[in-house]
Amino acid sequence: METEVLIIGGGVLGAVVARELSRYKADVILVEKEADFGWGSTKTNMCIVCQGGDTLEFRPEYHRSKLVWESMPLMEPLCQELDVPFKRVGELALIRNNEELGKFQKLKSRAEKLGLAGHQFIDQDTLRQMEPNITQETIGGLYDPHIAMVDPVRLTIALIENAGQNGVKVMRETEVLNISQKMNQFEVETNRGSVKCRFIVNAAGTSVDKIARLVNSDDFVLYPIRGYVGILDKNLGGLIKHEIHMRPDAPGQTNILTPSVHGNLFFGTTMQPARRGDCSVTGRIAEIGLQNVRKILPDLSEKEIIHSFAGFLMFRNWEVGWHECVVQASQKVPRFISICIGYPGVSAAPATGREVTELLRREGLKLERNESFDPFRKAPPVFNELPEEQQKELVAKDRRYGHVVCRCETVSEGEIVEAVRHGATTLDGIKFRTRAGMGRCQGGFCTPRVVKILARELGLSEEKITKKGRESRLLLYKSKELLEAQL
Amino acid sequence: MKRSDIDVAVIGSGPAGMAAAIRAREEGAEHVLILERQEQLGGLLHQCVHNGFGLFYFEQDLTGPEYGHRFAEKVKDLGVQVLLETMVTRISADRQITAVNNREGVLCMRPKSIVLAMGCRERSRGQLNVPGTRPAGIFTAGTAQRFVNVEGWIPGKKVVILGSGDIGMIMARRLTLEGVEVKAVVEILPYIGGLTRNEVQCLHDFHIPLLLEHTVTEIYGQQRLEAVTIAKVNKDKKPVNGTEQMIECDTLLLSVGLIPENELSRMAGIALDPLTGGPVVDQWRETNVSGIFAGGNVVHVHDLVDEVSWEAEIAGASAARFARKEERKKEKKIVKPGRNIRYVVPQTISAQCDVTLYARVKDMEENVTLKVGDILSKSLRVVKPGEMLKMDLSHNQLMQLRDDEVELFIESAKRRQNG
Repeated sequence: METEVLIIGGGVLGAVVARELSRYKADVILVEKEADFGWGSTKTNMCIVCQGGDTLEFRPEYHRSKLVWESMPLMEPLCQELDVPFKRVGELALIRNNEELGKFQKLKSRAEKLGLAGHQFIDQDTLRQMEPNITQETIGGLYDPHIAMVDPVRLTIALIENAGQNGVKVMRETEVLNISQKMNQFEVETNRGSVKCRFIVNAAGTSVDKIARLVNSDDFVLYPIRGYVGILDKNLGGLIKHEIHMRPDAPGQTNILTPSVHGNLFFGTTMQPARRGDCSVTGRIAEIGLQNVRKILPDLSEKEIIHSFAGFLMFRNWEVGWHECVVQASQKVPRFISICIGYPGVSAAPATGREVTELLRREGLKLERNESFDPFRKAPPVFNELPEEQQKELVAKDRRYGHVVCRCETVSEGEIVEAVRHGATTLDGIKFRTRAGMGRCQGGFCTPRVVKILARELGLSEEKITKKGRESRLLLYKSKELLEAQL
Repeated sequence: MKRSDIDVAVIGSGPAGMAAAIRAREEGAEHVLILERQEQLGGLLHQCVHNGFGLFYFEQDLTGPEYGHRFAEKVKDLGVQVLLETMVTRISADRQITAVNNREGVLCMRPKSIVLAMGCRERSRGQLNVPGTRPAGIFTAGTAQRFVNVEGWIPGKKVVILGSGDIGMIMARRLTLEGVEVKAVVEILPYIGGLTRNEVQCLHDFHIPLLLEHTVTEIYGQQRLEAVTIAKVNKDKKPVNGTEQMIECDTLLLSVGLIPENELSRMAGIALDPLTGGPVVDQWRETNVSGIFAGGNVVHVHDLVDEVSWEAEIAGASAARFARKEERKKEKKIVKPGRNIRYVVPQTISAQCDVTLYARVKDMEENVTLKVGDILSKSLRVVKPGEMLKMDLSHNQLMQLRDDEVELFIESAKRRQNG
């Protein structure tokens, strides 16, 4: 196989680069090692489109900071073109004392110096009106109206689908094993054969440094940092309206409670160095998480946590307490570009896509406009979100939309079948594409039903269906198989 | 039947829903409709292929499907209307029901009365916050039960079960009979969560180790589950250092509690009791929303299917009477859970007829007296959270109640000696 540009990694950054490049006539292949897109850091975060509620933000000397605020005005139009949910909720940074007030005043003036208007200090009464259910132990807040929520996995899938519509080739379950350089070409060895290419965009997420090392271009050091996120039952969805940020009381922590585009609340805390790839949630992290979120919502019962997860971010310069991103062409190897934002990758994605395109041009990629580029992509129908009349029409057209498979999120068989058509092959794939299994029973009800539909649509035996590809089969034996083996 | 003529609509067709519908018909309601989301009547009874159903209701030892079949036959005989594969998505406080099915798309109706019989769901891993990775091979016991008994698949061959609820113990036996090695049933409390009869028949008889005061402290495996660590816990349920042991397994089943399924009730503005997780009901099983009744596991989680059906019958009969606009006095006395009582159902009673109270204790205790104010006193050798208490109060006893509130409590042996 041969191509001009190979993108390694189908997370939000790889996807946004693929979609940017599909505006041009370049020959592009994207490879993803997992069974579906956005399963790394893209899926394990709080889904916030931020521009830096942290008091350290808005520093033009930092590349990452710039990518984040440049992306902010691009995100909503992007989501509209791609038909993915986007909800502007605004952010309230809680201020508890004068020391914090001072830090937020500096933040606000830095933002204004950059021409980013909109930040507004609010007093405690206004804060209580805006958020009556949260802690009263504040002296006010800093309101940023721009902050929004997205669904990063759906955004990633939409970007990739749109890139695909416009000519980018995509390969899943394709892991890069080795890269060699011959003449003016890379030869990339994968588990599915080798790909020859002239340019590489290394967007491999938590493996971005490993991939760079394959071409001896390790001119950056990254630290794996693990964060913890808890999801609260939708019944609490109305408790807060804005993304709420409280300055952490201990280093290495964050404290955020936010609505999501789908109606649950997320809370996130603790960012700690950890062994790469170890996405386990420890009892200690979960405990700190709960303690912290209770500083915002004092009466929160742990029974309302329907799920929690840990995710990885790769931070550059973690050792100096402030992290920078990697968006650069290798200094040693021509035509090799590495990208890794760390936090917040989703928020910085749109500007990163443009910048990588520019870097590729500088490295010598000829970019000729793709005249037939179509920026629009239509999302498959979400039955639960449609008005009643359209629900009826949909069922009349395809009866499977009237068969509810996931009771908690009201996901129909029609949506699951459509997700398979769009490329889902696993239980988690269905979950992230349709939300079946994401509700309060966490798949207790729908898992056997989804497995059955997946098997039917893929033409496989149910035994072959996996949770998330590779060795993650769900059902290991047929009924009576173990007994027969014992005879 | 026209959708505008429905007297009683029953949501769910498990052992509660069918019993309620039948009883509503017998009580004279002409148009009774069951809304069921699955392909056939019976709810979860289909996957409960073990016996022990109907010992009290039919005085026979039946399997789940047999128990369900008897009710389903009667539903048919009595001309109860049934809409299968129909998921109710919304109920409003004025009894408007919205449902979805693959024949009509979205359907709406406004019956004269409604019986909620949605049953309960299992507590999931997310709610437990079990530390560790997120591999395949972790199921709730009920999900595994469906795979094994309905779909014909065995999830794995080395299994650890966390929690000693009834479904977990029953699956321990079921999987053992399938040739699976059940390595341990691990319970954080000093006593089992389910019935003693299941401990004996499902665990002891099959030599399955039961580890009380233990919990799972870590889960291993990136793709498929590879092992778990279990540890002993102290009185605060925290793991004790140095007691950890790793157990190699490919499957972890969770049987850590059931939660009444009340999302629809919430939409209708029905008040829920935080102690039961179900609606606050009176002795007729009416909720605070007039004309909406509830019975079975949607109200509180029962131990026995027989009790589920009996409770739902009360709701069914009351709904039928409501549909024909039968008036009844609205006086209500609150039954309050007192010492060592987790909850009481019904939460309010009146002295208009005999009442049966159901209660669950918080902790195991021996040689106690169960008391309802000063109108009932009953000596009990042992009370356990896993076994529901049931007490009948006659009309005459209830007439003795003076206050608007009566306490139900457990008096310990010690206190009696002292007093």
